[in-house]
Amino acid sequence: MFEIGLTHYLVVATVLFVMGIFVMITKRNAIGILIGVEMVLNGANINLVAFNRYNGLGTIDGQMVSLFVIVLAAAEAALAVAICMNFYKNLNTVDVDRADALSG
Amino acid sequence: MSIARMPSRADLETMGTYEIALCLGVVAPLLMFVVLAFFGHRIGKPVSGWAAVGGVLVSLGCASYVLVGWLSSPDQAALSLTHGYEWVVLNIAGADMPIEFKVKLDGLTVMMYFMVTLVSTCIFVFSIGYMAGHSDEVDGQCKFHRFFCYLSLFEFSMLGLLISSSIFFLFIFWELVGLCSYLLIGFYFDKKFASNAAMKAFITNRVGDFGFLLGLMLVFVFLKTFDLDQAAETFRAQYADGSGIFDASISILGWQVSGMGLATLMGIGLFCGAMGKSAQFPLHVWLPDAMAGPTPVSALIHAATMVAAGVYLVARIFRLLTPDAQFFIAVIGCITLTITALIAIVQVDIKKVLAYSTLSQLGYMIFGMGVGAWPAALFHLITHAFFKAMMFLGSGQVIEGCHHVQDMRRMGGLRKKMPVTCWTFFIGVLAIAGFGIPGTHYGLGGFFSKDEVLAVAYERSFNWENRFASHADDGGHGDDHAAESLDERKSRTGLMSGRVVLASGESDGAGHGSKEAGDSHAAGGSHHDDPVLAGIALQQRVIPKWMFWLPIIIAYVTPFYMMRCWWMTFMGKPRDEDVYHHAHESRLMYVPLIVLAVGTVFASYFMFRPVLGETAVIATSAPLVVAVDGAAAADAQPELLGLSHDKDRDPHRAMIGYVGFAWVVGMGLAILIYRQGLELAERIRRLPGVRFIHMCLMEKLFFDYVYDTVLVGGTKWVLAQIARAIDTYIIDGIANLLGRGTVRLAEFSGNIVDAGGVDGLVDAIAETTQGVSDVVRQPQTGRIRNYVLFGTTGAALVLAAIIAVVMS
Repeated sequence: MFEIGLTHYLVVATVLFVMGIFVMITKRNAIGILIGVEMVLNGANINLVAFNRYNGLGTIDGQMVSLFVIVLAAAEAALAVAICMNFYKNLNTVDVDRADALSG
Repeated sequence: MSIARMPSRADLETMGTYEIALCLGVVAPLLMFVVLAFFGHRIGKPVSGWAAVGGVLVSLGCASYVLVGWLSSPDQAALSLTHGYEWVVLNIAGADMPIEFKVKLDGLTVMMYFMVTLVSTCIFVFSIGYMAGHSDEVDGQCKFHRFFCYLSLFEFSMLGLLISSSIFFLFIFWELVGLCSYLLIGFYFDKKFASNAAMKAFITNRVGDFGFLLGLMLVFVFLKTFDLDQAAETFRAQYADGSGIFDASISILGWQVSGMGLATLMGIGLFCGAMGKSAQFPLHVWLPDAMAGPTPVSALIHAATMVAAGVYLVARIFRLLTPDAQFFIAVIGCITLTITALIAIVQVDIKKVLAYSTLSQLGYMIFGMGVGAWPAALFHLITHAFFKAMMFLGSGQVIEGCHHVQDMRRMGGLRKKMPVTCWTFFIGVLAIAGFGIPGTHYGLGGFFSKDEVLAVAYERSFNWENRFASHADDGGHGDDHAAESLDERKSRTGLMSGRVVLASGESDGAGHGSKEAGDSHAAGGSHHDDPVLAGIALQQRVIPKWMFWLPIIIAYVTPFYMMRCWWMTFMGKPRDEDVYHHAHESRLMYVPLIVLAVGTVFASYFMFRPVLGETAVIATSAPLVVAVDGAAAADAQPELLGLSHDKDRDPHRAMIGYVGFAWVVGMGLAILIYRQGLELAERIRRLPGVRFIHMCLMEKLFFDYVYDTVLVGGTKWVLAQIARAIDTYIIDGIANLLGRGTVRLAEFSGNIVDAGGVDGLVDAIAETTQGVSDVVRQPQTGRIRNYVLFGTTGAALVLAAIIAVVMS
């Protein structure tokens, strides 16, 4: 059996990240996109923690940044949900493709 | 190349007393002209008139002084100036040609000068009275001083004309008198007919003066001098050796003129000037219209002096005239005197009758010149000047007295109201009618002068051929005849004036007039050898018979129409009570009438039977005299005037049968017809044949009508065509060109500059922007998912690029 190393973490993180991106791209539901954003952020968190664990010099900088990201994600989720609420209030839907007022 | 020079003191010193006097007499009226022109309106009504009279009195004084001096001088030729003041020196082909101003001092000038100043003085004085009532204000300015201003200028010009020795200066003064005539005919310029008449006179004269100018050019080109005497000398010399003008040839409108023809053309050209001024057919039409001017002007300019200048000109250029040119002149004179006398018969305007009679008398003078009656024609000129001026002043008196009525049908019986006018006018009528006792030497003006003209015409018509034949027979004797005695000559020809023609043509400068000159010239043999000489003599020796008979007939018509005029005006019963009632006579105005009447009576004696000397005054300057030496001159002159004491040769005796009683017949007929008023004349007028003739004469033989239609209408038509062509092709062309050009420019500016340049630039910028933005805005879908896709893809690509760079 192999030993679980950095590469495995990175693969998981990458999969998570790419899944998040994919969700963001394909989902028309605003809440789905929010979920995708959370997945991307968490993929990044895994990277931060993994690099700190394997390449760290006895510090916990990676973990600290991850915590920051989680806090920020929480704040961002609160804002995003508020946006979604307003979105819905204005357009009676949460389909982001309907919100194309910025189209050139 | 020319250099004009001011006269210097030296020029003055070479002048004799008489020349200075003549010049002074010319300058005095000019001075008055300047004074009146600048200060006339301040000087005021009667005084400006008297100022002009003062000027002309100075002239009269000078004229009298010169006349007396001239007559009492034993050697008149010595009085003349030898050289003149060089005004301009022309440099032509390396040779200097001076144009000299030289005072002409000979019998003709002295006599004419005196006549003009005397008549002028009378008329100036008369004018003061006349113009007082005839110079209404125009634009608030009194015209009184202006009249005397013009009159003074005229006086200056006329006297200048008389003393000019150079034909060039003669021409200058000639034009000046024409100008004055124009100004004075148009004196009432606020009246349409007067200003029209003035223009008519000026334009008609211009036609004549054009010919004069051409003649002048020929003189200048071929004779190379403007001096009358020198020109005549050169002309004769050129004829003698067939050089100069007789050798020249020019082409006029494809018509070749050479030699004698060219010389004739020169003479006719110069005569054209006289035709204009002396109103000869066919340029006579202006003179009757010129009566629109004030009556004193008619008297002075259009009867006594200026119109006679034409005759004076012919007299001066006489030695330049070839036989053909003389014949032409005679024909013109003959036509003029005939038609105008006929028209005079039917005129009812008192001034028009006088105008036509003036034309007729001028015709006699010109005719006289043409047939070679040189002194007789001038004699007639001077007597005519006196009596015609007097009659015009008389008519002015009548018009003034009758309050501007000129129609003789409304007059009649005026002798009681204006006796002086009536009887002075009657003297004029007698003079023009040729009153005299046939067979004696008692008579008035026309009696002598007209008879002489006619006598010469008779010689030229009937006796010339015989005389020429005898002349030709004598030809072969050669030198014997050079020594021929004066007596013999005198007896052969009582009318030397007729032979002056030959003298001017044949004489080689040393001979004595006609025959001797011809013989000495042909000393080597008969002058028949010279075909040209024979030709010239043959051509000019006879004039057609009708040219003798027409003047004879008119000599009967003249007393008729003048008597008719006088009788209708002064005799019979008053026909218009209103006019008769107002008629009056002015004292200031009848003094000149009396002076002129005395002049009329004595002028003929002064001329004909000279009281102040042995010789008649004018004769001393006759063309023949130039060829005669001092001793012969005295004997030649009486012959020249036709003054032979030989009874057989006396022109009056010769003419008794023809015109001796013409005045009785003509005046008698007029009295018969008009004795009972106008009824008989009216009955005659209604006769079938007469009515048409009367109509023609009333219409002045349609000259005005024809001229108006053909010349004026033609000129207008030609001008209209030219104007139309200019309008169509030039003005419209320019307008069209401008229009088209503007359209083209607008098209260029609009379609190319504006559309292509300005708009194109703007459009291009806009289109580029549009194009760019079309491309650029494609990704801007507004869809968040797309943005995410682009963002991640982009980031992936950047990352891939970095990795690729780092790995390599």
